[in-house]
Amino acid sequence: MRKKHILAKSFRFFFLSLYLLAAVVPLFWIFITSVKPSTEVYTYPLIYWPKHFTLENYKFLFLFANFSQYFKNSLFVSIISSLVAMSFATLSGYIMARYKFKFKKTLIVFLFFAQMIPAYLIMIPQYKMFSDFGLINNLWGLIIVYVNIAVSFSTIMARGFFSRIPRSLEEAALMDGCSRVGAIFRITIPLSLPGLAAIFSFSFVNTWNELFTAALFLSSNSKLTVPVALYSFISKAGIQWNVMSAGLIVALLPTILVFAVAQRYIVAGLTQGAVKE
Amino acid sequence: MKRFLVIILTLAILMLVSIGIAQKVTLNMIQVFTSPQRTQILQNIIKEFEKLHPNVQINLISPPYETAYQKVYLMLSIKQPLDIVEVGDWSLEGVVRLGRMENLEPYIKNWSGAKELVPGLLKAVRATGGKAYIIPNGVYAKALFYRPDILAKYGITKVPQTMHELYADSVKITNPDKNQYGFDFRGTGLPTNFIDIITTSYINDIDPSNMYKLTNGKLWFKDPRAIEGLKLYLDFYKNTAPKDSINWGFDEQVNAFVSGITPFLFQDPDTTGLLNKLLKKGEYKTAPLPVGPSGKVYPSYGFGGWGIPNYSKHKELAWEFIKFFTTPKISAYFCKEYGALPVLKSVYENDPYFSTGVFEGWKEMFKNPKKYVFTSYPLANPGWTKWTKYQQDTMQQCLLGRLSIEQMTDKWYEYWKKSFGM
Amino acid sequence: MTAPFIRMMKLSNSSRQVGLKLKRFIFWMLLPTFVIVLILTYYPTVEGSILAFKDYSVFNFQNIHFVGLDNFKTIFEGPEFAIATWNTIWWIAFSVTLQLILGFALALLMRKPFKGRGLYAGIVFYPWALSGFAIGILWSWLLNGQFGLINDILIKMHILDHGINFLANPKYAFISVITVNVWYGIPFFAIMILAALQSIPTSLYESAEIDGAGSIMKFFHITVPYIKPTLVSTVLLRIIWVMNFPDIIYGMTRGGPAGTTNILATYMINIVYFESDYSKASAVGLVIISALTLYTLFYLKLTSSYEMGEL
Repeated sequence: MRKKHILAKSFRFFFLSLYLLAAVVPLFWIFITSVKPSTEVYTYPLIYWPKHFTLENYKFLFLFANFSQYFKNSLFVSIISSLVAMSFATLSGYIMARYKFKFKKTLIVFLFFAQMIPAYLIMIPQYKMFSDFGLINNLWGLIIVYVNIAVSFSTIMARGFFSRIPRSLEEAALMDGCSRVGAIFRITIPLSLPGLAAIFSFSFVNTWNELFTAALFLSSNSKLTVPVALYSFISKAGIQWNVMSAGLIVALLPTILVFAVAQRYIVAGLTQGAVKE
Repeated sequence: MKRFLVIILTLAILMLVSIGIAQKVTLNMIQVFTSPQRTQILQNIIKEFEKLHPNVQINLISPPYETAYQKVYLMLSIKQPLDIVEVGDWSLEGVVRLGRMENLEPYIKNWSGAKELVPGLLKAVRATGGKAYIIPNGVYAKALFYRPDILAKYGITKVPQTMHELYADSVKITNPDKNQYGFDFRGTGLPTNFIDIITTSYINDIDPSNMYKLTNGKLWFKDPRAIEGLKLYLDFYKNTAPKDSINWGFDEQVNAFVSGITPFLFQDPDTTGLLNKLLKKGEYKTAPLPVGPSGKVYPSYGFGGWGIPNYSKHKELAWEFIKFFTTPKISAYFCKEYGALPVLKSVYENDPYFSTGVFEGWKEMFKNPKKYVFTSYPLANPGWTKWTKYQQDTMQQCLLGRLSIEQMTDKWYEYWKKSFGM
Repeated sequence: MTAPFIRMMKLSNSSRQVGLKLKRFIFWMLLPTFVIVLILTYYPTVEGSILAFKDYSVFNFQNIHFVGLDNFKTIFEGPEFAIATWNTIWWIAFSVTLQLILGFALALLMRKPFKGRGLYAGIVFYPWALSGFAIGILWSWLLNGQFGLINDILIKMHILDHGINFLANPKYAFISVITVNVWYGIPFFAIMILAALQSIPTSLYESAEIDGAGSIMKFFHITVPYIKPTLVSTVLLRIIWVMNFPDIIYGMTRGGPAGTTNILATYMINIVYFESDYSKASAVGLVIISALTLYTLFYLKLTSSYEMGEL
């Protein structure tokens, strides 16, 4: 029995390490490249450890390439649009989980179908529409686009989370004299916090990384987002991989942070047991 | 009374100042060949211009290179505020056909700078129906880049003068065991220039006004000389280049050149901007393109330039900027820093930078127009837009052995026969 | 007052009034979501679809006119379309299956807490936080046959003599883009499944153990059935996303060499970028939508998850 246990443990350790390796190797390489001077990037044989460790690439990003501004813009756009999408999705997801009404199926299909539409099909009509309203080259305009990108999936997800929270809890609150809205705020929302955290983090990652709409919609240097700035490092003559790598590392930080926080909620929340039907 | 005057004067000054502020004009300017360095160079030039015109402010738009034209098409077609637009030769006809570009001929008529432009340049720009819609800001042509340090290791000290010498040298140094190859092949990212330079070098009667026609007006795709040329092109891939290079675009080319894996490269002068950062002085040099068995080679003559949308509210100011950009001092600065061949005669003549060092290759080519015949692509033909991708895909099929050279050239022949309406 | 009594009181209100109130409540709660999706997704979709029946391409911007089904004819006639369609099927089948299996496995491995699990999760899940486009160009660099990191490591470990041309040989290239897509998608499945696994009450396993069930039995009789709704909806959504996901292939191969790694989504953006033929691209977009619609109907029928309310 004990032997079997050790075997299982080492088996688990082995595969966990394998996953780790697959994830770490590219990350390691971008990090190493980001602290190399440009003369050590395009070499053969490859240089695995920088001969001259340097932060010049990060300096380039923030002092020369205006990256702190792009970073602020990206944070602003992603946080606002994810929050708005999450709020909308909470309202509609709750209704779709709790109530039976006419056209419900149609509405679910409506949201579902929205997922199927290739971004490139709607980008140009969207652009024309937004230019009519003067929302081109405007971060609020981009936020509206991103809310739309995030809201239908968020609603589908919210509906799933809400339907896992037993109706009986809410009914109990109603019986205790809560109003319907009061019951939602006192019982349902706190219980679905982990779900909301998941929804927020998914939307945040998607909007943080969105490239093609942003590249089309934004023009002024002061309004660009991080992905657009990274994309513009690819020029007609080539990519400067050391600068690009530094940009990728910086771009990764917020998503990892958001996810690290959200993940704690997801796991903790779902283990609380209050959710059992 | 005195006090009253002071008050009046102050008010007047305040008013003037506020009008001055209110009248500050913003010009929107879009570039298409975006890179971080280029953006910085343009910003510096804009700063100079703004110093001369304190009431003007220029807002530079720098879309990522690969999406730039989609943005230009869209912005122009729905009349987004733009005053200065950059267009490159390959996309010029498409942009002009949007019907949103100002015909610059009336401006050129009254512009003394027009005579200063390099001979033949305006003619090339006027490929769009005989009218100029842009004023060129830089000229691009391929030259042979090579790595003397790598070649010396293999005892090669003489730069190849002909395609066959280039091929022989490349074969000589190729040794896959050491990860050493010769020719920096490009299989993707629209390799039109690379294919055509080698192929047409076998033909001595290419029409300089149309890369795909002979001087007798016929297409050359079925000419046996072209087949020979394409065979050499394939041999370069098979015997002197990494197999991986079928998937190489500009980035991989630069990477392989800088790392020394492939010490021979055909490239435009704008590569020098990046190479100067990645290599030490003297680690790379340029030479004229090798000539083919015809004794000639046909580099294409590329250019980019600034134009003005016809709906712009500040055409005069935009024109002021374009003129400013085309003065010897600014033009030289731009071409030097970014890596383009100058558009002004005087810059060539007065600035030694463009005839020595890394620019030596082009100087030689311009000196000998009979050997190095600068040739234009049929850029105004509607077939052009889809051609470069089509040529790339069919060539890749040929490199993979899925099409023979003859099958490929038959396709090319049909494509252009239809496009030229022959 | 006892609870059932209150309930009865509430029900005793005029039921029509309650019904109307409820309807209004439902309407206002749903409004923001549906208005934004209607205006920003559906309206442009209709506009974009109309484009598919027009000639809207570079050189023709001043002469946009209806051309009927010409754009569809053009795409169906070319060899690229058939290749891209087949590739799309393989691309989805392999990517999603492997993402699911490996993601599931990772979730099972991570289920029991171990020291540093939080940090481990942070590192293993980060690919999902990268943008698809960044992943594409990053991996095309790592997989380069001459100076790519992966080949260099394999040669240093004496597994290879020469670098593999991961992206030059059509077969390897297609395997490579799928592998990278799997690499990217594992975290998504792992996260979703891990969350679902945490919600399985431990009492179920305990009682199964009393009945003498082994771990394989427990897996198939408790774990899988319990998280089936999550699996069904995740797979369904994932397939739709993967089909509409050109970023990785575009970044790695641009659909090459010779169109052999094109899927419909990359075929579409290649038309936008290299031919500037927006109407032809829209036609491909409509084909993608139709295929996905058919697929969804079929899938829902098959799993009847519609009724399960877990869509």
